[in-house]
Amino acid sequence: MRAPGEVLLDFRDVHTHYGALHVLKGVSYQIREGEIVSLLGGNASGKSTTMKTVLGLVRPSEGTVGFRGEPIHGLRTSEIVKRGIAPVPEGRRVFPRMTILENLEMGRYTRRAEPGWDAELDRVFGLFPLLKERRHQLAGTMSGGEQQMLAIGRALMTRPTLLCMDEPSMGLAPRLVEEVFDIIRAINEQGTTIFVIEQNVNMALSIAHRGYVLQMGEVVLTGAAAELLENPLIQKAYLGSG
Amino acid sequence: MSALAGRLGARLGRARWRALPIARRRQIMTPVLLAIGLAFPFLTGNAGNVDAAANAFTYVLLALGLNIVVGFAGLLDLGYAAFFAIGAYGYGIAASGQLKPAWSSLWAPLAWAGQVSRLVVPGQPDTVQFHVTFWPMLAVTAIVCAVFGMLFGAPTLRLRGDYLAIVTLGFGEIVPVVARNWEGLTNGAQGLGGIRTPTLLGYDFGFSPYPYYFLGLALVTAAVWISIRLQESRVGRAWMAIREDELAAGAMGVNHVHYKLLAFAMGAAVGGLAGTFYVAKLTTATPDMFTFPVSVMVLVMVVLGGLGSIRGVVVAALFVAFLQSVLLQDLTEYVHALGRLVGSDFLQRLELITSLELIFGLILVLMMIFRREGLWPAVRKVSALTREQQAAAPSRGSAVDLEWARPQTAGGPGRPLLQIEALRKSFGGVAAADEITLTVHAGELVSVIGPNGSGKTTLFNLITGLISPDSGSIRLEGHEIGGRPSHEIVTRGVARTFQNIRLFNNLSVMENLLVGEHSRLEAGVLGAILRPPRVRREEERAVERALQAVSMFGNRLLPRIDHPVYGLSYANRRRTEIARAIMTRPKLLLLDEPAAGMNPAETLELMDLIHGFRGLGITIILIEHKLDVVMDVSDRVVVLDHGVKIAEGAPAQVRSDERVIEAYLGRRRRAA
Amino acid sequence: MSGLDVVLQQVVNGLALGMMYALLALGFTMVYGIIELINFSHFSVFMTGTFVGLTVLNLMGVTAVSRSLTGLALVATLVVLFAATMATTGLLGVAIERICLRPLRNVSGTAPMITTIGVAFILINVMLLTWGPQAQRFPSLLPNWRWPLLGTAEITFKQVVLFVVGMVLMVILSHLVKRTTLGKAMRATAQDPDAARMMGIDVDRVVVLTFFLGSALAGAGSLFFGLYYGFTGYYVGYTTGLRAFTSAVLGGIGSIPGAVLGGLFIGLVQSLGGQLLGVKWTDVMIFSILIIVMVLRPSGLLGVRAPQKA
Repeated sequence: MRAPGEVLLDFRDVHTHYGALHVLKGVSYQIREGEIVSLLGGNASGKSTTMKTVLGLVRPSEGTVGFRGEPIHGLRTSEIVKRGIAPVPEGRRVFPRMTILENLEMGRYTRRAEPGWDAELDRVFGLFPLLKERRHQLAGTMSGGEQQMLAIGRALMTRPTLLCMDEPSMGLAPRLVEEVFDIIRAINEQGTTIFVIEQNVNMALSIAHRGYVLQMGEVVLTGAAAELLENPLIQKAYLGSG
Repeated sequence: MSALAGRLGARLGRARWRALPIARRRQIMTPVLLAIGLAFPFLTGNAGNVDAAANAFTYVLLALGLNIVVGFAGLLDLGYAAFFAIGAYGYGIAASGQLKPAWSSLWAPLAWAGQVSRLVVPGQPDTVQFHVTFWPMLAVTAIVCAVFGMLFGAPTLRLRGDYLAIVTLGFGEIVPVVARNWEGLTNGAQGLGGIRTPTLLGYDFGFSPYPYYFLGLALVTAAVWISIRLQESRVGRAWMAIREDELAAGAMGVNHVHYKLLAFAMGAAVGGLAGTFYVAKLTTATPDMFTFPVSVMVLVMVVLGGLGSIRGVVVAALFVAFLQSVLLQDLTEYVHALGRLVGSDFLQRLELITSLELIFGLILVLMMIFRREGLWPAVRKVSALTREQQAAAPSRGSAVDLEWARPQTAGGPGRPLLQIEALRKSFGGVAAADEITLTVHAGELVSVIGPNGSGKTTLFNLITGLISPDSGSIRLEGHEIGGRPSHEIVTRGVARTFQNIRLFNNLSVMENLLVGEHSRLEAGVLGAILRPPRVRREEERAVERALQAVSMFGNRLLPRIDHPVYGLSYANRRRTEIARAIMTRPKLLLLDEPAAGMNPAETLELMDLIHGFRGLGITIILIEHKLDVVMDVSDRVVVLDHGVKIAEGAPAQVRSDERVIEAYLGRRRRAA
Repeated sequence: MSGLDVVLQQVVNGLALGMMYALLALGFTMVYGIIELINFSHFSVFMTGTFVGLTVLNLMGVTAVSRSLTGLALVATLVVLFAATMATTGLLGVAIERICLRPLRNVSGTAPMITTIGVAFILINVMLLTWGPQAQRFPSLLPNWRWPLLGTAEITFKQVVLFVVGMVLMVILSHLVKRTTLGKAMRATAQDPDAARMMGIDVDRVVVLTFFLGSALAGAGSLFFGLYYGFTGYYVGYTTGLRAFTSAVLGGIGSIPGAVLGGLFIGLVQSLGGQLLGVKWTDVMIFSILIIVMVLRPSGLLGVRAPQKA
């Protein structure tokens, strides 16, 4: 395990509201360069809202979100993406009536002025040979697992510093889930910092360096992944008091 | 000193007016307005004004009719002039010399009744001359238009809002085109002439505006009265529920197809009425009177006054009539004078009346951007909370007193109430429900748990009829309910709350609850309008039950019972939704994450309430993520994962089940 | 075989007309595809375009009574005419979006559509007040050459030009939408606006661009109208507009090839149907098609989105 570098993402004391509902109640976490950090939680824990706040789709009512030392919590999504954060949204959200290649092209939209994308394409095709094979296929005709690959590849097209993945295991068969997480680890080894929001505790903690556990909008547990895995409190957080 | 007293007096007056209940205010205003209406022709002394006012009444009728369709039921009709036309031409054809069929003995009874005559022309076959009496035609055209409304609505009302609007626009276009081209029936572009004027007890209305004025006043008064009655009835509430949230309305037992057709038909009938009245007064009908801009004009009136606001719509209609007949003419004179003053040729020649449609366009745009609710929206009497009420410590109530909510189920507790067998539902190839089999017994509380995306809400949607199963069966007390529409399932005794709370936002707490009672009440349109003692009693009892239901929550909701629900706190909205579900008197209550967003104290209160419901004999299926709640209240727990039932049993047993833990936490990786 | 040449003539006429409907339907369907809004004002923009074209021509010294042009002068005039008109109508569309529609972007229900009706009325009446109610003659730029096809059927130079210009515009649009990054961003936004945002696409800018393109195409269609019929008036947006709308719905709302297909089909219906049943019944025919399509197959022929109950 590489020693983690500087703080890349600084989520500090964030509160969000959805109408009258208080969703995030003072959530704080940090992600350092080179790490894989996992944010875990069950339903209604607020973890999806966290991702949306990072990406600028939800505005915090209190607290700050900083990226590389600069505040990003008031910026538009396009701005945030330009600064080096790339999302892999919940449910994949690939553009169904565009080809794989076109989807990948959309991934690098913020860098469209730069000439040449062969390097990025090669990287993505290297990780996902299937995508290269089927690059003219319409994304909507692919299976869930294949779409997940595409969504990850699409996010990698901007050469992001931080990759944010929202529930990558959702809706995938267990075997595929392992594959996906293997790839996540591989991407991290290539140098990308990764932030994974997940419900699947065991899988996420098996590749992460550190984890945070959210429950009802608050962080209730945090620590190194290996320790968290063995922590009986995790089971309690998910399945209620024993 | 006197100025100050004057201002004080004015302020006192307004405050006191506001403090009166609406019924009282109405009791005072109605005779005042009627008196003004009756006296107006004599006060003004100018027959031209009376004539303009009589024409204005047509506009008011049209606006009231469209208000039922667009304002109450939320259906955008851009072709409303079609019904205006059908009413107009209907009477026009029957009361003019347009049709001349050959005489036969079939016409004899009508001739005897004075509706037709036999025209004898030497050297030619005898023909029928039509001169149908005005008064029955009012009813006939209203009915004919209602029928047209239903015929047109039946295939089209299921379309989404903007699509429905386009289709109605198409219909609204076809009618004048047919009128223009079917010359045999309508005399084409020239239009009908020589339409008979009404006679009453031997007095012929002729061309004097006065009798039309009073007739118009009577029609408008009737229309206003009917509108008010409908709005405050079971029918009106059903319409508004559909307007606010059609899905939730269905889940509360409102048959939206039925009520949409009803709204359409009633609006059409009023439009037809207006057409008959207008054409009888004008004694002529041409296709140009019924084109798209006319439909838009009526829409402008409703938008300007306020969708659903009866008084707003009446005032706006009068204003538009005034604008068209008087104001623009007067303004044009000023503009001409101004033009002469500044030497502007353009101003001197400008005729503002041609810019009427420009004004309509501006009204529509400005109202939609700045004041969507209209200039004079419907009165909503909201009593602000008193000091004591605001400061009061929240008190708890209970469900024990709601005996009327106790379900009447055949057989005792313990026998199967809901039987689900091999239920399957797929979305895009992914099974959200995969061969689910489950039996729920009367009086039980079964909890359904599982990770995100496991299919819990899909299961609820299948049971309550929001979606249809691909295969498998769902039986309630032996009756198959799989695939049935949701309002039907509600009448059989299934109620639900929604994960993300679906209330009728612009309605008050009380109104929301009363919609819950919809399937248990009986008043139809006639009952709503006439309000016989039976209906009045029914409404009173419904209100009583609603108050009792709200008292379940102590003093939390009760003081806010007249408040529109969009202003309530999250917890109160949740409470309203639960109370509304109870109002349907369910045998089976499905609660979808009722404790979401509630703090521990509120959660405890909810659990008490659930116990109370069980005490009444209501069977409950609960989806909940707060597993302490689940473990505490449930008789049985069912665990879903990826649409499959992976475990079932007593709470403690399920919690320690390996498969359940794996479903939530995920499988351990094989390789380290 | 006198029947066949009549049919052929109507087919030729219908296809030329259909081009115009297709251009108009395209702009409309593009806007719907991106923000799911039925934009009534589109057809008034079309009508305004005819007057803009008239003004441009008058400014260039071409009036209803000048003689027709040929060769380089004709091409130059056409280019200037189309460019200027399309730019103006494009900007008008953008202004409408900015002022009237963007404030309502998050409002659900029919309020945005009602607003577009209001805008349509405003435009119609401004034109009425400015130009008066009588029809205005549109200069007939194009010489009246004709070539016989079969029997009495012939094809005019006008029709050829319109067809060619229409095809060129559609090819350009197709290239734009399919090949350029911006075009792909437009398609992405139409398919999933939230995901598009996450890709860094500025959805607001894309909407503005769509309005510009759609309205510019309406401007082209308006010139077709003026050149083909030789006149215009404040009321022309209305019937032509509803026919173009029917074309879009028939082809499948939101689908670009559908708009073209639908437009050509409606053009054929108008001319062949007019021949069969009489011109005065074409409106009823076309509206009936609209209602039937919406009731039986709301997603149209090529449509992707089926407008279900909300």
